[in-house]
Amino acid sequence: MPHARGETAEYEGKEDGQLTPFVIQDCSLLIRMSGLLPAADLRELRDRIAACSENVLFHHFFETLLRPTFDNPDYRNDFAVWAKLYLDDRVLAERLGILDPYSYASLKELRNVVLGLIDERLKELTLVPRARPGDEFFFQEATTVVFDTGERIRHPRELAPAIRGMTNGSIYYHFLEARRRSPAGMDDFSSWLMGDGKKYERHVHALASIDLLFHSLGHLRADLLRALSNMESLG
Amino acid sequence: MNAPIAAYEGILGSSVVTQLRRLGGKLRGIRVVHVNSTREGGGVAEILDWMTFLMCDLGLDASWEVIHGTQRFFEITKAIHNGLQGKPVTLSKKDWRIYQDVNEQNAENLRASLEAADIVVIHDPQPAYLLKLCPNRKGKWIWRGHIDFSRPFGPVWKMIRSYVEKYDASIFSMSEFAQPLPHPQFLIPPSIDPLSEKNRDIDPAELETVRAEYRLDPERPLLVQVSRFDRFKDPVGVIRAYRMVRKVAPVQLVLAGGGATDDPEGKAVVEEVLEEADKDPDIHVLLLPPDAHKTINALQRLSDIVLQKSTREGFGLTVTEGMWKGKPVIGGDVGGIRLQVVNHHTGFLVNTPEGAAHRIRYLLHHRNRIKEMGEVAREFVRENFLLTRHLRDYLTLFLTIRSGRNERILYV
Repeated sequence: MPHARGETAEYEGKEDGQLTPFVIQDCSLLIRMSGLLPAADLRELRDRIAACSENVLFHHFFETLLRPTFDNPDYRNDFAVWAKLYLDDRVLAERLGILDPYSYASLKELRNVVLGLIDERLKELTLVPRARPGDEFFFQEATTVVFDTGERIRHPRELAPAIRGMTNGSIYYHFLEARRRSPAGMDDFSSWLMGDGKKYERHVHALASIDLLFHSLGHLRADLLRALSNMESLG
Repeated sequence: MNAPIAAYEGILGSSVVTQLRRLGGKLRGIRVVHVNSTREGGGVAEILDWMTFLMCDLGLDASWEVIHGTQRFFEITKAIHNGLQGKPVTLSKKDWRIYQDVNEQNAENLRASLEAADIVVIHDPQPAYLLKLCPNRKGKWIWRGHIDFSRPFGPVWKMIRSYVEKYDASIFSMSEFAQPLPHPQFLIPPSIDPLSEKNRDIDPAELETVRAEYRLDPERPLLVQVSRFDRFKDPVGVIRAYRMVRKVAPVQLVLAGGGATDDPEGKAVVEEVLEEADKDPDIHVLLLPPDAHKTINALQRLSDIVLQKSTREGFGLTVTEGMWKGKPVIGGDVGGIRLQVVNHHTGFLVNTPEGAAHRIRYLLHHRNRIKEMGEVAREFVRENFLLTRHLRDYLTLFLTIRSGRNERILYV
């Protein structure tokens, strides 16, 4: 299991027969303009998505949870929201909105799927849908600033109480952002628990079963605690 | 009186405050100077008041400087402000010379402090020229534009751009306002302080005192728009919407605002508003002093619906304030109001007095929706637009810009 910083969860000082302590990190998102021109219509959106960096794609699909935006109950990714609200193309919005970005092995694969959906839609339409001036799609990206909280989890029975007290930034970093860092696409909590063989297999499975598509970080915290219930009694 | 960071734990939980302490610990002792053009009046001054205090509370060496200018300087900068928000304005070479001269006079006093600072944050166009006047600066300089730059008047933006492009970075409230610049443009929405005089909980008896003071009828619905008297806030449009509603419902309207020391146009706009109000006893045009925070707080809490029918808006902190008080907001479909008002969830976005009247009538007919939307609005603000998030964004920016690195993940 890779342990290098920036690759997966951070563990330190393993003692024989014990899991190494889990290092709780926190993070904060700093959003900036990507430098790409805004897209005013669906074709421009397609061309910009084809050309944008993976960080831009990652931001508009994955980092929306950490951003100050309304907890849109319809769609989690910015492209679907824009198609619905500003292109008034509900068909495309539904097709983009159901995409689960965590289900793709790579951002390249996700990008190809998005482009395929837009190309398909462009073929169906006689007119390219266009947003009003001021309603263009603005491409953003972000830097995730990560810092050590100084806190450690030394035993799996401490995991749920620790999650209860974590910031949204910690939850995002360890459960969502980790999937991009880890070659196996796994969250940090599961990676850590698997370090103790199959003892916590049930909990790892429960963590993997959480449906991420409609979650705010507050809801996600509640689901994590449900998935890890009874762990404290395992000793 | 500002509250220390620990006081926010009760509203936001300890983890949020702990996170700020950790970020502050990484920046302990760095010298930060904010500069703007007014100590009171308007959202920027309110933000700088708490932000400077809390940055110090977190261990940074932060201060807030205000540039001083003549009446003519502020008339010119108001024209610049209007131009940047899209209004065609005429500014002569002499006007720009006056703008530069006032900046030069202020630089004489501020230069030593600004050149020695690790981070300088210049707010809005009024002091933007200062960078050019501090050639021996050692720190990073950030320009923060608070207004709606989405469609600036070309000649004005061209000149201001020539001043701000030299900065190390700029900050805008939202992506729609960002303009092409040769440095990173960060997006940081502003926020409100839930413990300030303007936003803290108020005793019901105090509310009744304010209601009696302004002779507001407790039996009839109250519409409130709080903002400085500025044409972009469309107070005349609000009165027109009120009149359309008044035909079918016995509403009262409060238009409350003060002036800022850097806004010389307010008086003329008040006269237009009074003329439109035409001595209607149910239209209360209140000219409040800059420190009337408790009165504004009470008026927002006494309202049934908060209005902010702007035609241009940087962010609209009065929207945030109304939402924090559990009120649905009917706001102009512009600028930062769009970030806050979500149709059918936290209020309604409108484009015309007719649209505002329609949504007011809808809410008055569905009183339960007023309560439901108000609750959603308050939680939305708690999660996203309180000062702790704003402060965290600034600290994160300082860490990033001081690192000099441009990576997706930055470990500090």
